[in-house]
Amino acid sequence: MQDKLEVVVYGADWCPDCLRVKNILEKHKIDYRYHDVDKDKKMEKEMLALTDNHYTIPTLKIDGQIMQDPDNSVLLSALKLPSDLLSTHEVIMIGGGPASLAAAIYTTREDIETVIFERGVVGGLAAVTDKIDNYPGFPDGIEGLTLADNLQQQAQRFGAVIELGEVNKINDEGKYKRLETSSGDYYAKAVLIATGSDYKKIGVPGEKEYYAKGVHYCATCDGAFYRDKRLVVVGGGNSAVQEAIFLTRFASHIDILVRGESFRASEVLQKELESKFKNKISVHFNTTTDEIVGDGDQVVKVVGTDKVANAKVEFPTDGVFVFVGLSPNSQFLKESAIKLDELGFVITNNRLETSMKGVFAAGDIRSGATMQIASASGEGATAALMIREYLEGKHHPVQN
Amino acid sequence: MVKNITIFTTDSCAYCGMIKKYLRSKGHIYDEVNLDSNPERHAEAQQLSGARTVPVTVVTKHDDSREIIVGFNLAKLAPALS
Repeated sequence: MQDKLEVVVYGADWCPDCLRVKNILEKHKIDYRYHDVDKDKKMEKEMLALTDNHYTIPTLKIDGQIMQDPDNSVLLSALKLPSDLLSTHEVIMIGGGPASLAAAIYTTREDIETVIFERGVVGGLAAVTDKIDNYPGFPDGIEGLTLADNLQQQAQRFGAVIELGEVNKINDEGKYKRLETSSGDYYAKAVLIATGSDYKKIGVPGEKEYYAKGVHYCATCDGAFYRDKRLVVVGGGNSAVQEAIFLTRFASHIDILVRGESFRASEVLQKELESKFKNKISVHFNTTTDEIVGDGDQVVKVVGTDKVANAKVEFPTDGVFVFVGLSPNSQFLKESAIKLDELGFVITNNRLETSMKGVFAAGDIRSGATMQIASASGEGATAALMIREYLEGKHHPVQN
Repeated sequence: MVKNITIFTTDSCAYCGMIKKYLRSKGHIYDEVNLDSNPERHAEAQQLSGARTVPVTVVTKHDDSREIIVGFNLAKLAPALS
């Protein structure tokens, strides 16, 4: 315990980093004075006098030393606390998509200290999806990025901490799980695996060679490079149709190559494509994608097979966007003692517990998941309640 | 030492937002080139990165050497900023 320091925090109720700093101080039982600079203008003036008029919250005064929005390690050092203290948590959630953000809203509201590890973009695949029409509560649909931002803000409002970093392995060490991460070892009493899924590769010649130079898996990221160009979209599900529609704002023409004889996409999306985008999008059913051909610098065509005519077909194009399904982000679990199914998804029981006690899974990564954002959020909420019971010591027999 | 940072972005790119948040969280100031507002700079972004993707982050050091980080890649970006 540290009781010699004089600590003053200047912050505001709405500020997630202020909450983060306060949580750290409280977790380590450090006394501090807190001033809300939004509500108390005198305190705002006092803070600005300390910071040479730079308005940043939280501002901290620790034994006379002024710090503005310090990150955890800087704060820890200023508090003279051992550096490994901050790496021990009640719950660590791996992956920052809708499943863990929803779970974190529940755990943090119950005062269960929660850290989320995200290696890429908070919001996961949902954040890079142009528009989401089937998430309940948004009658006109919602942009994926906005939904992700909203979920993040809601989780952070209650105190969830998001760390940018990658978890490489989970080790069972009894009461605590040890997570090997890109920022060193972290410990948690309970872990939620919510690493989701990523777009699958098709595995044809040219796909790897022209990755990001004409072959893409994220329309909202890379679509803008194809203004007035021709594109090929590969796939027949919701993502393929939704993203092809998004790409019409840039591309002059899009060929969609569908291996099956019909779309798997929802009727609503198919009707939208048919009614509004027929002039820009040509659909080719029963067509496989066999090779992506380039000139060394960029993609020039896609070669496929028309399965009905049993003939080779070619589609001149400047780029290819691939949406042929999802594969689990579970590579990091290959070395962990957590059971995966034959496709690499995490096996859980009906309480969302994995084969390692105290480790749960929710969302797309879970074997049997429906790959829907609404389902992932729902599973996140369920997982949070199961984690709470686990932390309270309530044990249930495993039911598979 | 970092002299300046330029990020090429688009409006719809979630990873661009994450890069910007990351840089702000580390106290870095950056220039942003939004390719939706500046489509004439597409070729420049593509030439720098060798790819048709964003974000592209160009970190210029005090000796004018440059590091170019394509996509959201903290493993490359963090050392480039140190």
